[in-house]
Amino acid sequence: MTHPWPVAITGLGCICAAGTNLEECMAALYSGRRAPTAPTRFSSNHPVSYPVFEVPGFVEAPELLRTGALGLHAAREALADAGWDPESLRGLRVGVCVGTTVGSAMNNEQFCRDYRAGLEPDLEPIARIMRSNPAALIAREFGLSGPCQTVVNACASGTDAVGLAASWIRGGLCDLALAGGADELGRITYNGFISLMITDESPCKPFDRNRKGLNLGEGAGMLVLESEAVRAKRGGRARSYLLGYGSACDAHHLTAPKPDGAGLRSAIVEALSCCGTPAESVSFVNAHGTGTPDNDRVESRVLASLLPGVPFLSTKGYTGHTLGAAGAIEAVFTVACLENGLIPGSAGFQTPDPDLGGTPVSECTKITGTVALSESLAFGGNNSVILLGTRGAA
Amino acid sequence: MRIAVKGIGVTGGFGCGVAELLEALQGGTGRVAELSVPAALGTTLQLPAYRAGTERLEEFAPKRTLRRIDHYSKMGLLGAYLALEDGGLLGTDLSRLGVIVASGYGATATTFAFLDSIIGDGDICASPTHFANSVHNAAAANISIMLGAQGPSLTVSQFDMSVASALVSARQWLAEARVDAVLFGAIDEVSDLIGYLQHRQRGPLHPSAIAPLAFGEESSIIGEGAAFLLLTREDAGPAYCTIDSVTTGNLYQGELSLPDDALMLLGADGRQELGARYRDAVPKGARVACYAPIYGAMPAAAAFDLAAAALILRNGNAFPIPGAAGCDLEGKALPLATDRICSLRLAGSHEYATIMLSKG
Repeated sequence: MTHPWPVAITGLGCICAAGTNLEECMAALYSGRRAPTAPTRFSSNHPVSYPVFEVPGFVEAPELLRTGALGLHAAREALADAGWDPESLRGLRVGVCVGTTVGSAMNNEQFCRDYRAGLEPDLEPIARIMRSNPAALIAREFGLSGPCQTVVNACASGTDAVGLAASWIRGGLCDLALAGGADELGRITYNGFISLMITDESPCKPFDRNRKGLNLGEGAGMLVLESEAVRAKRGGRARSYLLGYGSACDAHHLTAPKPDGAGLRSAIVEALSCCGTPAESVSFVNAHGTGTPDNDRVESRVLASLLPGVPFLSTKGYTGHTLGAAGAIEAVFTVACLENGLIPGSAGFQTPDPDLGGTPVSECTKITGTVALSESLAFGGNNSVILLGTRGAA
Repeated sequence: MRIAVKGIGVTGGFGCGVAELLEALQGGTGRVAELSVPAALGTTLQLPAYRAGTERLEEFAPKRTLRRIDHYSKMGLLGAYLALEDGGLLGTDLSRLGVIVASGYGATATTFAFLDSIIGDGDICASPTHFANSVHNAAAANISIMLGAQGPSLTVSQFDMSVASALVSARQWLAEARVDAVLFGAIDEVSDLIGYLQHRQRGPLHPSAIAPLAFGEESSIIGEGAAFLLLTREDAGPAYCTIDSVTTGNLYQGELSLPDDALMLLGADGRQELGARYRDAVPKGARVACYAPIYGAMPAAAAFDLAAAALILRNGNAFPIPGAAGCDLEGKALPLATDRICSLRLAGSHEYATIMLSKG
């Protein structure tokens, strides 16, 4: 059995460079504050120090990967926001769906160095990885017994995790789901993205004519999704609704988007079709907007074609690109912006690029609609889109 | 909703393709090879391991298109092509096809190679090719690119629970009619890292064969390969079997509720720490089967179990259990006629997955 869309969102949690909770993050976004810095948690021997967006002051427990710890932090905030005491969840079928890129990867650099040096490396880093798989960790921490999934769809992971968890609610697989994404900054992704030559040596400038690439970030975003039966029974408040989810693969290139944006188009069309939402209803788009030349060109052209005149922005100028967490963090921001009727300016944008399909909002802008899109484009040609709406839209 | 298994594509230690898997299952024999792994102080370890070949990939794709594709993705590509061919969809319109890949550890050899590029030559020499191919969804991406499959694509990585968890989403995609078919598969590879960890965590003595039902003993041997299933909504057309339900979760109290009228296909693979959980979970008097000795110990083995279950249900009889000597379930390990199978996989101290399959 599959229940119709929409699916209620009853709680939100977020941690990233912009703040350690949603309130702090939104204050930073609306005030235009951003603080990219040189990496402080690791060193590198690149001649240039590429800026990153670290979560300042966050210290993970030594037995956990930072990714898992960030996910737990955001999950606690989301559950509290929804009014759920973790103990009270034990009688329910609660699912966990979390996107990540590094949270399940067997890639501890020190272990590898020691091994290559002919030493017998300590196995604790491997044990830490094994106990920190983000979805499994959150399920274990809160004693949750429903379906559990760690999505590794590269930079679209967070968006996919939210859409897939909504599918579980609709399919009756669980009563409630914690859905989101988490990722940490580290030398491996830092060196990897620099090697691909898509990293900006200065603070990133999504959709700007002078954009040179992305800045990496870290963080986590979590949403509590609830079935109507459970929400009605407890009288829970819906902050917003997930109105649709779409995803499609470019089937074009491992690291570059398809120039005509075919996959993104399909994903947007699918997301809009879930509730039969007309494109004209969309009040804004929280774009992927990494600041790489290719991504921003393809994305802006697709938006201009499918959603002409609809305001769009990128929040990566405040958070950096948080990879598997990005879609979830941006979903949380999108709900908050809908509630506030206000979207922040796209940090880093100054100069329009005539090669793009449009220009993002450059300052805080009031919006009047009740529906917004949040989208992610990823390595592997993955394109994922979720459609969010307030009570009136549902 | 029941979903139909329409095609199977496999490559592993037993060989390549349905016929070779069937032959290995009927014969009860796996092919354990040897893996040389660098170890401390310049020594080299010789470990038993199941290795998968990808030579047949050239039947489906020109060699030049495979140049930059690593062994991990090649195994996945071969499994994908074979499943599509077996299901009769190769060369057809794949616009309504979804791709789902599950992997316990991802492309560990390429991940290690990327780290090597940094360690050996410095940060500035990090390899972009290795980095791009080390991303977990690289295999799913390569499959979609080579097939021109533009439907949804998903990769799940959750160690031992990866396959069952990913199958939950495959069922939902079909239930919601997002796609008409799902190319669903699992991939894991043997690499220096995986071999070395096996030695450190389970060595130094290495078994010559997996004894999966000797629950008190450590007898695991690492394996690699890819197992793909072509899944559709149940229809009147031919199929190996149906997948009737998928349940995953954590068991914190009480007992796992398992059917008493189905063959229990255990994911036991010789890992000692899980032996007691399997022994305690299996209902008294249950009929059991276990085929890890055919393909080895790896998270992706859960998908090989599904392929084996599909062949049992098509044939009507379970295959003999290899390595059943020393069985802790005395008197129960009897291959019998069956039309219903419960594939059971356990992990950690609480995690479980049950997948119910039937003749359809």
